[in-house]
Amino acid sequence: MVQQFPALIVVIPLMAALFMVPLGYFNRRLCHPWLVLILAATSTMAVGIMGQVILHGPISYRMGGWQPPWGIEYHIDQLNALMLILISGSGLLGAVYSGPSFAREIDGRQTMASSLYLMMITGLSGIVITGDLFNVFVFLEIASLSVYGLIACGGGDAPLATFRYIIMGTIGASCYLLGVGYLYISTGSLNLMDLNRLLPELYHTRVVLTAGALMLVGISLKMALFPLHAWLPEAYYEAPSAVSGVAAPLYTKVAGYLVIRIVYNLFDFHFFTRIFPILEILSWLAIIALLVGSLYAIAQTDLKKMLCYSVIAQVGYIVLGIALANRAGFSGAILTIINEVCTKSCIFLATGAIIYRVGDSRIVNLGSLFRRMPITMLAFTVGVFSMIGIPPTLGFFSKLYLIFACLEAGRWSFIAALLLSTILNVVYFFRVIRVACFEDPRPDYQRTEPYPEVAVEEAPLLMLLPVVAAAGAIILTGLGSHWIFLNLIRPIIPAGF
Amino acid sequence: MKTIILIFVVLMGLFLLYGTMDMPGWGDPNSPASTWVSPRYIEQALEKTETPNLVTAVLGDYRGYDTMGETTVIFTAAIACALLLRGATGNRRKEDE
Amino acid sequence: MLEFVISKYNFWVYVILMMIGLYAMLAKRNLVKKLIGMNIFQTAIILFYVSIGVKKGPVQVPIILTEHGHVVQAIRATDYLNPLPHVLMLTAIVVSIATTGVALAVLILIYRRYQTLNEDEILALRQQRRETGA
Repeated sequence: MVQQFPALIVVIPLMAALFMVPLGYFNRRLCHPWLVLILAATSTMAVGIMGQVILHGPISYRMGGWQPPWGIEYHIDQLNALMLILISGSGLLGAVYSGPSFAREIDGRQTMASSLYLMMITGLSGIVITGDLFNVFVFLEIASLSVYGLIACGGGDAPLATFRYIIMGTIGASCYLLGVGYLYISTGSLNLMDLNRLLPELYHTRVVLTAGALMLVGISLKMALFPLHAWLPEAYYEAPSAVSGVAAPLYTKVAGYLVIRIVYNLFDFHFFTRIFPILEILSWLAIIALLVGSLYAIAQTDLKKMLCYSVIAQVGYIVLGIALANRAGFSGAILTIINEVCTKSCIFLATGAIIYRVGDSRIVNLGSLFRRMPITMLAFTVGVFSMIGIPPTLGFFSKLYLIFACLEAGRWSFIAALLLSTILNVVYFFRVIRVACFEDPRPDYQRTEPYPEVAVEEAPLLMLLPVVAAAGAIILTGLGSHWIFLNLIRPIIPAGF
Repeated sequence: MKTIILIFVVLMGLFLLYGTMDMPGWGDPNSPASTWVSPRYIEQALEKTETPNLVTAVLGDYRGYDTMGETTVIFTAAIACALLLRGATGNRRKEDE
Repeated sequence: MLEFVISKYNFWVYVILMMIGLYAMLAKRNLVKKLIGMNIFQTAIILFYVSIGVKKGPVQVPIILTEHGHVVQAIRATDYLNPLPHVLMLTAIVVSIATTGVALAVLILIYRRYQTLNEDEILALRQQRRETGA
């Protein structure tokens, strides 16, 4: 049974999505428990896979029993297992949350939306578990199509934002596919490990160089790396709360995972530093992204939109860690991915809860929210601390590693940029906390009698629980960061640093 | 704006053409694509999968997992369309009333 | 020189086709035209992959001739086309159709909301609606 977990973790949500449709037709109220049950099962399996990887080393799983470059192979090491836990964990929180959230925002369509939600988890898990480049494309499209559907059902201007996302996402996926084609024509293989063995002889050919660039550009589009970020803020802003609470933490980070695989496992990173110095360009783009993202975030008057720009800034941190190509940078990138998934889950879900009670997310309307929704705002504050990098949250350690990486690479200007972006983070998040903590709701001048006491009015328990759990995860991962480094990151640091 | 896009597109095209320069020639039977993974399919597929049509053998067996993904894509698209369009007609009816 | 052109022109044609698609996706203001550009782009990639599978010379389509369950002649890899790109493209065609389907559904929603599919008009309308607070 445990040996079959790698296949089951993808297949179970897929089958469950299929059964969701008749189940919802029979009784719509069964959809939510079914969704939560399935994601609890995948989370358990993800933890099981992680345990196996830590105890027995990387797992190789052959689909249909065919030998690797001929059949499709799963090669699961610590990074794959970690991504699986992040995806199913964040998916579970979002699933619990989706009950009241879907009922409020897209009532009557929960069946299809829950089914698509499961497809989204299937697609994302498929991307991070497989070791075959074409298989990555197929699952990338499953994940993309399901999130297009989920975002577009948000109402308002959501369809237009989705259409732009579809165009950009398709260009990205097609560039990736074309890159895979260029690699295939020059090597004849699609398996990641096999290509890693075949490619070094071909590093000086133009076709491999073009392939590497195409794949990185395609994934950067999916990752919303500056200057290819324009589709992201609108799409995640218009999406229903439960959807943005899962898509925003996961999609850009899964793309970040793919960049790690392309730079370190598919190619050798020396290819990108010596023969084709694209990492130099990427590191500058990353710095611009984290500054521009933060500046845009400051300019926003709406909390949810501000968070969307913060996602773009955080992509910069991940890419910076990857592009510096040293031990600390690699560790920093992975820690940032973990931190981002926990924090963005926490903050986006908390924002959804605020929208549920307040009605919208404009910052001026958030007055005295600490009194009205104390638990939500406490969790939000924990998330903000991790975003800024205050110990003992994981955000502190991830930034520390990135600064060490800059020191090791001798990039003093990058350290300045990192510190500056931290200050910008403080500015835009504390603006929210200041309003929520010290300002009363907007005065109503028509009113003559005194204002009523602000009553505690939390979001429903099913929405509150995931927010608190995500905040707990932030503190837990922060306290356990040394364990994470020793057991999950050190074994996979590529040789040659 | 259109001129900028045109320049960008032409540059991208030139980059792709640059990549094709040292590709194996079209239809070259000795290209890596024809000599590394695929000969094994041609030589062994009939024996191992009992299917004379090699495309079917690879599609349904060697890379059957991709094919599962392919059908899943269609299913996802169907559910997405159902989600979007059912809601849309619902809204219109409300407006009509 | 001529030999070089002959061995490469096939790839050049798909690059040109792909750029036509990409230009339409980025520059056209009508959303349906963008979608058609997307289709051209994806079709060009499909053509590229299929052309990887070609082998010149006396080769057959990748179906092994059998009679009563016995192979007619010894199977040699050089006698048949490469089946793998065909398999990959069957999947990619389905993906492209699925994407088109979802995009069309989204376009229907856009049309219902704005009564137009021209991006400039939609943006103007959206600006107008935001100002009036609708």
